[in-house]
Amino acid sequence: MAFINIQNLTYQYPTAKAPVLQNINLQINEGEFVAVIGANGAGKSTLCYALAGFVPHFFKGEFSGVVEVNGIQSSQAALAEWVLNVGLAFQNPFNQISGAKYTVFEEIAFGLENIGVEREQMKSRIEAAMKLTGIAELADRSPYSLSGGQQQRVALTSILVMQPKLLVLDEPTSQMDPIGTREIFAVIRDLSNSGMTVVMAEHKMEWIANFADRVIALKDGQILLEGKPNEVLTSDVLAENGFGISRYTSTAREAQKRNLWKKDSLPVTLEEAVEGFRRK
Amino acid sequence: MYIARASGLHQLHPLTKVLLTFCLLIAGLALPGNWTSYLIILLVIFPLSVWGKVFPNLLRITWLVSLPFAISVILIQSLFWGTGTPLFEFWIFAPKLEGARYAVISLGKIILVMSDFLLFSLTTRPDALMIALKQAGMPSSIAYIIVTTLQIVPSFQRKGATILDAQRSRGLETEGNLFVRAKALVPIVLPLVLGSLMEVEERAIAIEARAFNSRQTETSLIEIPDTQLQKNFRTVILIVMFLLIIFGILWRL
Repeated sequence: MAFINIQNLTYQYPTAKAPVLQNINLQINEGEFVAVIGANGAGKSTLCYALAGFVPHFFKGEFSGVVEVNGIQSSQAALAEWVLNVGLAFQNPFNQISGAKYTVFEEIAFGLENIGVEREQMKSRIEAAMKLTGIAELADRSPYSLSGGQQQRVALTSILVMQPKLLVLDEPTSQMDPIGTREIFAVIRDLSNSGMTVVMAEHKMEWIANFADRVIALKDGQILLEGKPNEVLTSDVLAENGFGISRYTSTAREAQKRNLWKKDSLPVTLEEAVEGFRRK
Repeated sequence: MYIARASGLHQLHPLTKVLLTFCLLIAGLALPGNWTSYLIILLVIFPLSVWGKVFPNLLRITWLVSLPFAISVILIQSLFWGTGTPLFEFWIFAPKLEGARYAVISLGKIILVMSDFLLFSLTTRPDALMIALKQAGMPSSIAYIIVTTLQIVPSFQRKGATILDAQRSRGLETEGNLFVRAKALVPIVLPLVLGSLMEVEERAIAIEARAFNSRQTETSLIEIPDTQLQKNFRTVILIVMFLLIIFGILWRL
């Protein structure tokens, strides 16, 4: 039995005229790192909310089908219980600051306070989580004084510190520079290797190809493609459906037309492109 | 609003300060005498703010906020006062001394309320207040609302400044005569208010995701020191407040 099991999930927001997710079927194993790609409005964020329990509990609306994590159906569980196992961090970091805390360290403590972790244990967990995401030196700063990228790290750390079994991330690196993005992807990869299941909505194809186990391409609320990053991200279907593809893939595709690309598969990352072009 | 300082006032338990704040407020409103509010400001609030090392900040903000109030209240009261000693006469205007005096007296109450709450928020950490309120038995959602409301002013200022810059860079005129400035208000205030309303949903999701509604017994990262002396003091304040209210009612009968 898969760790995450989504069956025939169809969902429509209360004020919407059409369903934003249509008949989604998806199985994800424990410890897998899955990236979800798709244009704006394709349903990425809604899928994240569905996994995190906010669809349907918070947003209401018309929900049918099954979302099951670790053997429990989201529609059967209370949201307050659900969030103990499933962590969610989303795009806009500013709105994820609780607004009730004075320093970054205390901000990260917010969730642990809510679940009643003892003070000493709380401190050591926060310190470990901050070290992991590289924000140890921000501990005493006000969360509002940080840059967007730093705030995103704080938002991610605030969720990681709660040690969820499933981590759901909706474009968690949208305000980070390439170095920061790489660091965060590496951290998430390590977490996934140590058993945490990760579902991440993301646009950055190159990093997905480098770090994710599987890619799901959403279009108009339906799964268009699903598979290993290199297969999905270089697929013709993706290009035909208006997905942004990595510049290395498009370069190699042009080269292929001119018979300059000899390999069968197309590259997604810089390393693969260099390696492919070197081959004569 | 909070300004971190090493002072005795800062170290007081938040509840002690909450009660003190309300006690001063009630004293100013319940006690008889035209100048009571001013006396409380001068003899209690200002010395307390010196103890809390925030006197210049308190004075500056109180001054900035009360000045427009003061001007409008004094103008209106003195100009529209029925009969009395005119200060001077000019065309159809004849401001009355009694009106001005009444205005200054009522302003005392406004300035008292303002400086009183200001002193509290300048010297009390919002998160410490939240924890103290919860420990005193307040539901965490209400404590959260109170505390985030206290923090909303600086957050509004920041957002306002961003919107102002954005609108200016699109050619909005924000300087010039009163009319130009008034016209610029709409494209600045509207996005500020609408944006804040939209934020509420995401903020709710974010704190819910961090187990805000969890049924576990909550713990707190920071410790809030409390002493027996302060507990006794709080009881005394409560009794004083009660007596002040009784006195205020009896005196007005």
